[in-house]
Amino acid sequence: MTRTRRTTKNFALLIAMMVAGVFTMSALAFAEDPKPKPEEKSETSASSQDEESVDETEKKEEKKKEPPKDRYFAVTGAVVHTVTDGDRYGTTILAKNGKIVEIAGSVELPDDTEVLDATGYHLYPGLVAVNSGGILGAKPPDETTDVYSLQMTLALAGGITTAVSGNTAARLTFGSVEDMVVKRDLFTTLQYSTGDSGSRRKVREGFERVRQYLRDLQAYEEKKKVDAEAEEPDKEWLKGDYETYLKLMRREAVAQISADSAQHIVDVCQLAERFGISVVIRGAQEGWTVARRMAQAGVSATISVRPPIFSMGDGHDERLNRPTGRSIENAAILYKHGVPLAIVPSMSVVTTWGLAGRDLLHLNMEAAFAVRGGLPADAALRSITIDAARILGIDHRVGSIEVGKDADFFITDGDPLHYMTLTRWTVVNGRVVYDKQKETLYSHIRPDGDRDAPPPDDHWPRRLGADQ
Amino acid sequence: MIRQHHRRHLGVVVAAAGFAAYAGLPAGAADQAAVAVGLAIRAGKVITMDGEDSVINNAVVLIKSGKIERVGPREEVTIPDGYRVIDAADKWLVPGLVDAHNHTAGSLMDLNDMVYLSNPGLRTLETITPDNKLIKQARAGGVTSVLLIPGSGTNMSGFGTIAKTAGRTVDEVVQRSPGSLKIAQAGNPERYWYGVGRSFMNYNTRQTLEKALAYHSAWNEYEAGKVADEPIYDPIFHGFRGLFRREYPASVHTQIYQVVMTTIDMLDKKFKIRTVIDHGTFDGFKTAPLLEGTDVYTINGPRQYWFDRSQRKMHGNAARWWQGGQHRLGVNTDAPVVPQRELSFQAAMACWYGWKPYEALRGVTRIPAEALLIDDRVGSIQPGKDADFGLWTGDPLDPRSSCEMTIIGGKVVYDAKIKRRF
Repeated sequence: MTRTRRTTKNFALLIAMMVAGVFTMSALAFAEDPKPKPEEKSETSASSQDEESVDETEKKEEKKKEPPKDRYFAVTGAVVHTVTDGDRYGTTILAKNGKIVEIAGSVELPDDTEVLDATGYHLYPGLVAVNSGGILGAKPPDETTDVYSLQMTLALAGGITTAVSGNTAARLTFGSVEDMVVKRDLFTTLQYSTGDSGSRRKVREGFERVRQYLRDLQAYEEKKKVDAEAEEPDKEWLKGDYETYLKLMRREAVAQISADSAQHIVDVCQLAERFGISVVIRGAQEGWTVARRMAQAGVSATISVRPPIFSMGDGHDERLNRPTGRSIENAAILYKHGVPLAIVPSMSVVTTWGLAGRDLLHLNMEAAFAVRGGLPADAALRSITIDAARILGIDHRVGSIEVGKDADFFITDGDPLHYMTLTRWTVVNGRVVYDKQKETLYSHIRPDGDRDAPPPDDHWPRRLGADQ
Repeated sequence: MIRQHHRRHLGVVVAAAGFAAYAGLPAGAADQAAVAVGLAIRAGKVITMDGEDSVINNAVVLIKSGKIERVGPREEVTIPDGYRVIDAADKWLVPGLVDAHNHTAGSLMDLNDMVYLSNPGLRTLETITPDNKLIKQARAGGVTSVLLIPGSGTNMSGFGTIAKTAGRTVDEVVQRSPGSLKIAQAGNPERYWYGVGRSFMNYNTRQTLEKALAYHSAWNEYEAGKVADEPIYDPIFHGFRGLFRREYPASVHTQIYQVVMTTIDMLDKKFKIRTVIDHGTFDGFKTAPLLEGTDVYTINGPRQYWFDRSQRKMHGNAARWWQGGQHRLGVNTDAPVVPQRELSFQAAMACWYGWKPYEALRGVTRIPAEALLIDDRVGSIQPGKDADFGLWTGDPLDPRSSCEMTIIGGKVVYDAKIKRRF
């Protein structure tokens, strides 16, 4: 079943490629995409950080016995959109060593505080991409990430400060791996496919066996109180999948299961309820048709609002006399039923080959499309900040502007759900890691809000840094 | 169980409502009568896209026999007795969007008939599929006119067809055939056969056009009475006569600086064909100054930016065309590359990359209509033009706004209240 569908999709893709014609070239361009060499990078936007880190090293060498000096960073003047506690005007945010320590109208700034005057701009918690590729390295990201990569800079320009690599959530600590990883082992991915009843039965039987074990264990503990020689239930077999199931049933782990059709989603809901496990459903394309069932089962969902490119429709099955396929209202309906929600575009990488508004760079636009379907604007913003963080289990660190949380935010010239809004600065770990006017990528687009700015000069050949 | 029953009933109700709406739509006698009586739309804002760029707040638009009768402020326009009224005082009325580069109005399987490297006699008219599932989606995005062109797998893949996005029969949907001639200058036909490169493709396109021009000239001479014998009719080249008479344009798949230069030089300057640059992507915008004094249009897309690695800059294609002086500028979706219903979002993204919203909205309404020479009928809200509109909850470029109702020829062809598709 699955295989047939995939073949059809590939076939459709092939046709569409023939149609488009331009895709071949784009794929080439994508493949060619070079990553800037670190030494090139150090000449451009990373320069300020590099100088800073050099300074720090020198200082460390000078007075080795003293603890490292506290690092203070403050943003003043911006309208602060906390996401969890309303909007604040005339507020200063002070961060110490990468953590927010104060949000107040009047803050006494320690000496040596790096101050960013963002008067006239809007500050939001950095966006959280619950599904991403190419921005961070493979596993473990703190050992394999190119911290000067173009992809990371682009994601930062999109306001993203936390992304996921494999099963690890990590922050986009440009130029450094310090405090990069937020959480490892985010999810236990389960295969629970409607189309494969055999493997599904195997999963259920595994959970049943573990449940029996937990009952036996409870009975043993009761018995032990009166009978010292009571026999402990055998746990030699509790390895591999069984160990996973045990963790899930003890709610020490969260299951992630891909499910798109209503039938598949309901199957997953039944699994979650029967064994009391915590589940995040990935995809949930037809979630809008079974939203109440999802809410009853207490599952969360990570969804894309729009279909991928080259898609041949919304997957509505004309043969069925019931609602099927995708709906622009999916997010809104799930939200109304109380299903926790994170939004991510179907193209969960940052591309450079020309199609705009469909990849991770415009994570915010995917949320805007959810508003079109009826999701309240504040819920849409939460679905890419605090609610996304909650689904990843990292909301104690990121996702909102609160004292004690990581100093990760992006500062824009407007509402992030508006299509003209540009990121002016992105801050991660209390450091400016993206500055639109210093980084060449978008500096020519509405510099300081000027819609009539002239186009940039064409330099050829151009030496990085030299002609800035 | 109760819930399921409930939903089933609801489904029946919705289906019935949908049926009722549809049954009365395109060809029903009752509806024809209604159209004859007339329709009035009260809108909060009308973006007319007329020559003066008028925007009218609290406006009334009167429609009769599928055409716009009158447009004006509510105080000035009295709704005649018997007119059906659509009250949309909180909505924007926008001209039906026009996508000048589209592959979804017909059979997707028959777009690239790569029999020869040039297939000038072909046309997409026979592959039109009215009301197919992709075109239903187009309506949900407020798109009302599309140019269905063949693919770019060969240098010349035939004549396209301009179609409306609603109607039951081919006759109902077709606006003009031929809509345009599709030429693919470079950047795809290379894959036709081993050894095909730009020199060969340019020779190939040029010699085909030369033969067609010779054919056209022979007929011109005969028609002017200069030669007595009627030339032999050639089904391959006869369609080119309208092209050389500039009755319809060439939709040119062209992108990259050098290739677009060739397009301008060969098609506009040498063959004097009305030319529409249909992708214009990568660094094609560098040719903008060459277009001064021409009537060449640029319909940019589906790509909306180009990453210039040498400068480490992301250039918005539309913004750079505009800044270079090319103001006959619109955007396309190349659907199904980008879904048809996201045409307005293509314009929005062009703005994120540096273009301006009003110009961008014009770039999906009046400009593509002008480019295809159908602006006498569509692309703006003016008396005498086709009553094709979208009723939007706000700025059509904003992804948060939705098209709540699409009207073609004075008939409601999409109503989000009955079945929302986007």
